[in-house]
Amino acid sequence: MTGEVKVPARPSRDEWLARHAAAVAGGRLPEFRTAGGRTVEPVYTPDDLDGEWSAYDAELGLPGEPPYTRGATATGYRERLWSWEFYAGFGAAEDANARYRYLLETGATGGVSIALDLPTQIGLDSDDPLAVREIGRVGVALDTLDDVFRMFDGIDLKRAGKVFTTANAIGPIACAWFYCLAEERGEDPRDVVVTIQNDPLKEYVARGTQFLPVAASVKCAGDVIEFCAERGLPWFPISVSGSHMQQSGGTCAQEAAFTLANAIAYADEVAGRGVADFAPLIELHFCTDMEFFEEVAKYRVVRRVWTEILAERYAIEGQPPRLHAVTSGLPLTAQQPRNNIVRITLQALAQVLGGVPQTRTASYDEGLAIPAEDAVKLSIRTNQIIAHETGIPHTVDPLGGSYYVEALTRSIYAEVRDILATVEAMGGATVAVETGWFRERLAAGAYEQELRLENRERLVVGVNECVEDEEGELQLFKLDADAAERQLARLRKVRAERDEAALAAAMARLGATLGRGENSIPAVIDAVKARATVGEICARFRAAFGEYRPEVEHLG
Amino acid sequence: MSPAAPPAAPIRVLVAKPGLDGHDRGAGVVARALRDAGMEVIYTGIRQTPDSIVAVALQEDVECVGLSVLSGSHVEYATDVRKLLDQQGAADIPVILGGIVPADDIAVLEDAGVSAVFPPGSRIVDITATIERLARRPEQPA
Repeated sequence: MTGEVKVPARPSRDEWLARHAAAVAGGRLPEFRTAGGRTVEPVYTPDDLDGEWSAYDAELGLPGEPPYTRGATATGYRERLWSWEFYAGFGAAEDANARYRYLLETGATGGVSIALDLPTQIGLDSDDPLAVREIGRVGVALDTLDDVFRMFDGIDLKRAGKVFTTANAIGPIACAWFYCLAEERGEDPRDVVVTIQNDPLKEYVARGTQFLPVAASVKCAGDVIEFCAERGLPWFPISVSGSHMQQSGGTCAQEAAFTLANAIAYADEVAGRGVADFAPLIELHFCTDMEFFEEVAKYRVVRRVWTEILAERYAIEGQPPRLHAVTSGLPLTAQQPRNNIVRITLQALAQVLGGVPQTRTASYDEGLAIPAEDAVKLSIRTNQIIAHETGIPHTVDPLGGSYYVEALTRSIYAEVRDILATVEAMGGATVAVETGWFRERLAAGAYEQELRLENRERLVVGVNECVEDEEGELQLFKLDADAAERQLARLRKVRAERDEAALAAAMARLGATLGRGENSIPAVIDAVKARATVGEICARFRAAFGEYRPEVEHLG
Repeated sequence: MSPAAPPAAPIRVLVAKPGLDGHDRGAGVVARALRDAGMEVIYTGIRQTPDSIVAVALQEDVECVGLSVLSGSHVEYATDVRKLLDQQGAADIPVILGGIVPADDIAVLEDAGVSAVFPPGSRIVDITATIERLARRPEQPA
């Protein structure tokens, strides 16, 4: 039978709602809201998008075209899959070295991401009294350039693909280390791709490794960017990070907006020094939480807003944003830890659907300890299954055009723009950091999330829903008890054997350079070559710029 | 003196983060919750030593010390804070601890004199109730 199919007239969404008012009024929940606080409608239609998509070109465009909402490249994952890199490091340098070799052999494609222990990140030597209990605990302990050599022993940096580290307050030292590592191994530093997180602003807000005053930290971060630009290094000298702010209680819109506000502070710093081509050097780093569609939309929004900021504020066009994403550790539970495998899979999927080219995926035991080898391998396999078995990477931005995702994209965009205007009006990100404005918002958000969990507005399996008596037979990682002792012995040896005259000269030069306010990196390079320790170098920075001190707060 | 008994003063609690770890989301949530439960909360800020924590506890005349440790060094920090309080004549100030504490370590902490331990998944109401039960209170006039 042939003949014309009669298409019934489509009611507007309001008419549809009226027609089905009785049916849609009573749901499982009194109201449906996203984690970011958005009310979720029962259905989305073209009405949510002005009917005609009149703003399609301004808001979305096509992949690889401004404003890059649908993707930074035209090819998406058709040319190259997203990379899956792994964050690892513990003990002394040789312990971390063994884990990196394992990861590279197992199929990690995004290179090596180095977790540093807290003393290293805060600029303290392993033999500092504050450091002794923390050597090698949450990352690898690096005191001198010799440790960096040992960490990469037998690893071909070119073949590893990329080296990343969470050096923030010590960004200049990490920059010098990797530069010297390549040089002293007889390689061209331009042949290695290094990402230094180098984002001290979010440390004051969420992560807590700051040790200099805020303005001095921005200056030091700017030194790294300027040095890489001048030397033509194809590195990412900064990875402005929102992930810690979301994990500290921020909504996805706050994460995006606070990160972009911080990115503006760094961009202003280097633009003010006359660095013209900084846009490709700035990576934007976020984390993917469980609120699936909001997270997908967030990555689309970030590309659009950063593209607009580059054009409006710096007259830079045609530079697609460089995004990096990591699955959030926050939703991972210590209870029934194997459930985290499913959570990580969904988060990994969301960041892939958000079109992020560089990713990191957590391990299911991270709620408990440093990941065990098997858990890390499972995270690699998770990415490989999404990449090879689902067909998801076959087309670019497959959720583009979803009425819901596009409506979320618009809504998050408006909120991000609004927050950015507020921060700009108060004097920019450095003011929002110094006055605690960012921190206060995240702390309030974290408290609200906890209350919603405890009154069961928010359900988490294994925590307040489907709770079980715990099994507890997981094989958890155990740090080698000797690691700290080995690290301390190495540090003593370096101190005993280095050329004291060369060291003194390098340190004097560093002090003078800092005193004149010049770019610190060349002098830091001299110092690390002379085997100055992290603590010795950071002491010079503290002497020149002063020291951040936390304040006692009174509540109630 | 007014013949009517004065209303009980709010419990004063010190929330403290010993060690280098700067992740203070948990400490912040607990501090807000205790404030909302009517307590006076003093938060040390990050990166404290056992010495600095005990100094603030005595100076602020607190009635309970809550430690937040996520770095794995909970046994060492809690033991030190407990010992220092005892040595400085404040054996009656209870020390409680929250953070990423493996189940095996809870008994170790209790042996070290920690009055209550709150591992991941603990509820605010339980923390509040525990402090109300344990806190050193000023002696009531006879």
